[in-house]
Amino acid sequence: MGAEVDHVSLMGMSGGSAEGNDRSEGQRFSCKNKLTALVVDNGAVCRAIQTALLRSYGVETEAVETGEAAVQLIASGATFNLIIIEMLLPVLNGPETARQIRAMGAQSKILGISAFFDERHQQEFLAAGADRFIEKPLSPEIVIPIIWELDN
Amino acid sequence: MERNQMRRQLALMRQSFFDQGFLDEQFIQLEELQDDANPNFVEEVVTLYYRDSSRLILNIDQALERNPLDFNKLDNYMHQFKGSSTSIGAKKVKAECTQFREYCKAGNSEGCMRTFQQLKKEYAILKRKLEAYFQQARQAGPLETACRSRN
Repeated sequence: MGAEVDHVSLMGMSGGSAEGNDRSEGQRFSCKNKLTALVVDNGAVCRAIQTALLRSYGVETEAVETGEAAVQLIASGATFNLIIIEMLLPVLNGPETARQIRAMGAQSKILGISAFFDERHQQEFLAAGADRFIEKPLSPEIVIPIIWELDN
Repeated sequence: MERNQMRRQLALMRQSFFDQGFLDEQFIQLEELQDDANPNFVEEVVTLYYRDSSRLILNIDQALERNPLDFNKLDNYMHQFKGSSTSIGAKKVKAECTQFREYCKAGNSEGCMRTFQQLKKEYAILKRKLEAYFQQARQAGPLETACRSRN
């Protein structure tokens, strides 16, 4: 391991047993085209991490705290290739947010996300127009194929 | 203490977190998001986590004093707690969150209360460890790390 070590931890040691060989060539995967994403999560930690993760792949990412804010953003004309929506949002929940976004004609890829995988929640989200439902955390394994697909 | 020795100690400390099951690979994901543009990302996110969660813990403590328990409300709080704990790789805390939720679903008050005490313990232990880790990291100073190249 020299200066070209693929992924480097905080203190310069190769990170444990991380799976996902997206960085095996020594470079971080990055999208070719301009892609945009919106993160909708009432938790600041999740918002921060999901945003940073998407941005690290070259995706221009915004984050909002509520379903209402997301709907308003899209109603004002903003478009996103990818929208990630937390299930248990207060007031307008995840599926309802997805429903309203779809009702406005948005063609974005919509990912429902939640701390716990729940079949009921998955059904709600898919019925509302989401493309997929996943359990947190939003990992490179999940996100890279999606970005790649949107990019090509 | 000599810098290299400090860094070796730091690396051992870090490895022990994984070996002893306090952190999982999600923490490594955070480290990989740290770069020149975000040089303190990990510490910032962890600090945010502890700030946010302290509020949640207060809410859950209060909710656990009600009689009867509002399991739906507790479930919602735990939902957010698990989400953020999972996202920073807090492995043991995450396991307690999952256990708590099982008791919620079963309507088991005693189980909930017991699990929450355990959760708070794990949470506090991890907090102490991470605080010590970041403090030592600051003392050891920044490393000339090979930053992941960005295209």
